[in-house]
Amino acid sequence: MSISTRETTSHVFRRLGLGAFPDRVVASDGLEDAIAAALDLASPAAVPPELEPPSSMESARDREANRPILEFWFEQMLTSDRLIEERLIWFWHDHFATSILKVKVPYLMWLQHLTFRRLATGNFADLLHAIAIDPAMLMYLDGTQNRRGAVNENFGREVMELFTVGHGNFHEDDVIAASRAFTGWVVNIPDRRWTLPDRAPWSAVFVPFRHDNGPKTFHGTTGPIDTAGAIDVLLDHPATARSIASKLYTELVGAPPDEATRDSLAVDFRRDYEVMPLVESIVGHPDFTSATAIRSKVATPLERALGAVRGFGDKTDLAVRAAARYLDVVDYFPFRPPNVAGYPEGPRLLGPHQLIHGFDLAHVPRAPVPDLTPEALLNRLGVFDISESTFAVLENASTPETRFALAINSPEVMLT
Amino acid sequence: MKHARAVDAECVLTTRRRFLATLGAGAAVAVGGTWGMSVWSRDPAFAGLTLPAATYGIDTPNRTLVVIEMGGGNDGLNMVVPYADNRYHDLRGDLAISDPLPLDDHVGLHPALTNIAMKYSAGDVAIVEGVGYESPDLSHFSSMSTWWSGQQGSAGRTGWLGRYLDAAVGGDEPLAAVTIGPGPSPALLGERSFQVAIQDVSGLSPNVPPWIDDKVELMAMWTGFANPSLDAPDLAALVDVAIAGSAGAADTLQSILEGVGAQTDRAPGPTGLGEYLQLAARLITSSEQPRVIYVHGWGDFDTHQGQLNRQGAMMEQLDAAIGSFWETLEIAEAADRALIMTTSEFGRRAASNGSGTDHGTASCALLLGPAVVGGRHGEPPSLSRLDTRGTLVHTVDYRSIYTSVLDYWLGADATEVLGASVERIGLLRPEDPKVASPFVH
Repeated sequence: MSISTRETTSHVFRRLGLGAFPDRVVASDGLEDAIAAALDLASPAAVPPELEPPSSMESARDREANRPILEFWFEQMLTSDRLIEERLIWFWHDHFATSILKVKVPYLMWLQHLTFRRLATGNFADLLHAIAIDPAMLMYLDGTQNRRGAVNENFGREVMELFTVGHGNFHEDDVIAASRAFTGWVVNIPDRRWTLPDRAPWSAVFVPFRHDNGPKTFHGTTGPIDTAGAIDVLLDHPATARSIASKLYTELVGAPPDEATRDSLAVDFRRDYEVMPLVESIVGHPDFTSATAIRSKVATPLERALGAVRGFGDKTDLAVRAAARYLDVVDYFPFRPPNVAGYPEGPRLLGPHQLIHGFDLAHVPRAPVPDLTPEALLNRLGVFDISESTFAVLENASTPETRFALAINSPEVMLT
Repeated sequence: MKHARAVDAECVLTTRRRFLATLGAGAAVAVGGTWGMSVWSRDPAFAGLTLPAATYGIDTPNRTLVVIEMGGGNDGLNMVVPYADNRYHDLRGDLAISDPLPLDDHVGLHPALTNIAMKYSAGDVAIVEGVGYESPDLSHFSSMSTWWSGQQGSAGRTGWLGRYLDAAVGGDEPLAAVTIGPGPSPALLGERSFQVAIQDVSGLSPNVPPWIDDKVELMAMWTGFANPSLDAPDLAALVDVAIAGSAGAADTLQSILEGVGAQTDRAPGPTGLGEYLQLAARLITSSEQPRVIYVHGWGDFDTHQGQLNRQGAMMEQLDAAIGSFWETLEIAEAADRALIMTTSEFGRRAASNGSGTDHGTASCALLLGPAVVGGRHGEPPSLSRLDTRGTLVHTVDYRSIYTSVLDYWLGADATEVLGASVERIGLLRPEDPKVASPFVH
């Protein structure tokens, strides 16, 4: 079956944004126009609300504090005109996975989110330096426990295995050297005996006597390497650019790049680590809009939820709450990746639990559900090429309600 | 319009019949069949995921591991009480259990555990004392991650049971692993295997708005999307297989669980451990017996205050639930199908804080069932040599229990699943040919 231009245009928005954007597909004037719109960062970035820092650990753990943060983020994911920015913010959240279940302080997750928002489309080197001393990350991977004479290797290992050079590109000696380099950071929790009043509450603070400033050999570099120095060594390592370029390519295209493509992207990326030129190179690759790329990924619960809300939600927060409940049930919730390796992907998203609860998304529209044709229903979910069997099932639905519930759980929306 | 509806109703019936036909005479066959290991493993796009299922040399028919997670940190000292040790009474003061059910001259069970005490006398309970892990962290999250992953110091990308399921089952049996509780458990997180999470007799059922009046019809129609003639080994075919498998699993679960509510005289809804274990018993006696049932999210063992009453109530619930669980299995002549294992992320601090106990380290674990080597195992943690935080020093690596369960009950290679060879402490009866494992040399 040949792929229509509208389906390819929808593919562009589905991959560069989060979820489907049917209105934009209809409004686009060809693929070039769609790509330009999805990558456009000309409209002003959202101004995040100013949240009051909690005054103590006890008050900071209040679950209610999560509400304005999640409301803001969902609002941006659903309505921002800076599509690629929201895609990249989620990409970095998934890459530098940090969970509130361990961090426990919504305000720290918020600070980290603001860092992603600030740097998502900016510079990867800046982002990596920021994350290495990000307070939520310091709590999540035990950086605050990591001090001279009592090294905690949690961050030192994951920063290489998952965040930069990748498995096979470091040795155990490097883990120890990195961990020593990262010693000395604490989070300035307010209302503690040792709280530093002249420093911002909840900021990362370097405590020299906790830092191991002895000589270390890290990936062949020897010296009294500190946190920034160790991050620089990792940025200099060619495997870092290769793994990030490859991961972003896979995210956008749906399959890993061949070796030549990967290496060429990595060489360019490593020059200055600017993210948008890398995105543009990947999007400019013929693979990106090829027939094999279209619907070659399993749609994540987040993409399905956002697509359903855009297609059928009203202007109240009813739809968002329904989407959030679904994401909670299938355990694909913002700020709550299941582990440091990030959110599940691919066929693992097709388990019985995840698929059956796809019907929970039927709560998104306010009743009565619109009586639409199969084609109109799927178009509103960003699907323009519809298989005959899907069409037949929707045609046979006895009521508009059933037809709608089946449409949001059709095989077409499970792939992106 | 009326006419159109009539036609639609006819189509629905047809679809429903087709759905039932794909399920075949026995739902059990259909689940395996429609889930289709063929498509699942044939797809070159998932070549990395295509380890052959059931790589293990022995079959483990009719055997279910039931894990009961006691979240929050269960106080081992007040569950298996070292009543003869004066230091226990010194450390615990008013919080000491004054009337334990003595098992021998040294320890006794919490007085609420009467069913378990009887089972202990019959040789069906293995008590492991001093269970913990190296360099313990007093945080719930870190400790739970350690227990879930089964790998020391690991960030826990997969769970220990998830890795077992990956190797033994893969994606081929949608009901191989059932979680009973608020949602999926990280312990069962695999790379290619799935867990089905249920909370009550409604089983694997979506939460849909009231305007969907017939969920059964909806599910039946949904399977119409799964086009059985589609044989191209691509992602679209995989989606078809997944839809058919999910609907089949939901339908099978529903028929298995029908009547459990009536039996326990409870309406569907949030339930306690007793109801959870009745669901487990029903699954175990069904034709789709899961390999692993993971029960979690009941009780709160984080007894910083009000410990005597709070833990006492939970011990009562545990004992009653386990008692009626075995009763149900015995009536069905299926007692030998189950092994129960309790876990908790840590024990409590040795000393009382006045009304409760703070986070600690070592605790105890129970294994129950006809396959266990009854009695006390491990070494009771010393009450005179505490660590600098005033917590017990563990004597048994928690992975020793996993090792016994994997090797002798699940017929898996524990060393491979855990990524480490851990000392075995003889918790299950290796002399029983049914329990023999080719991986134990």
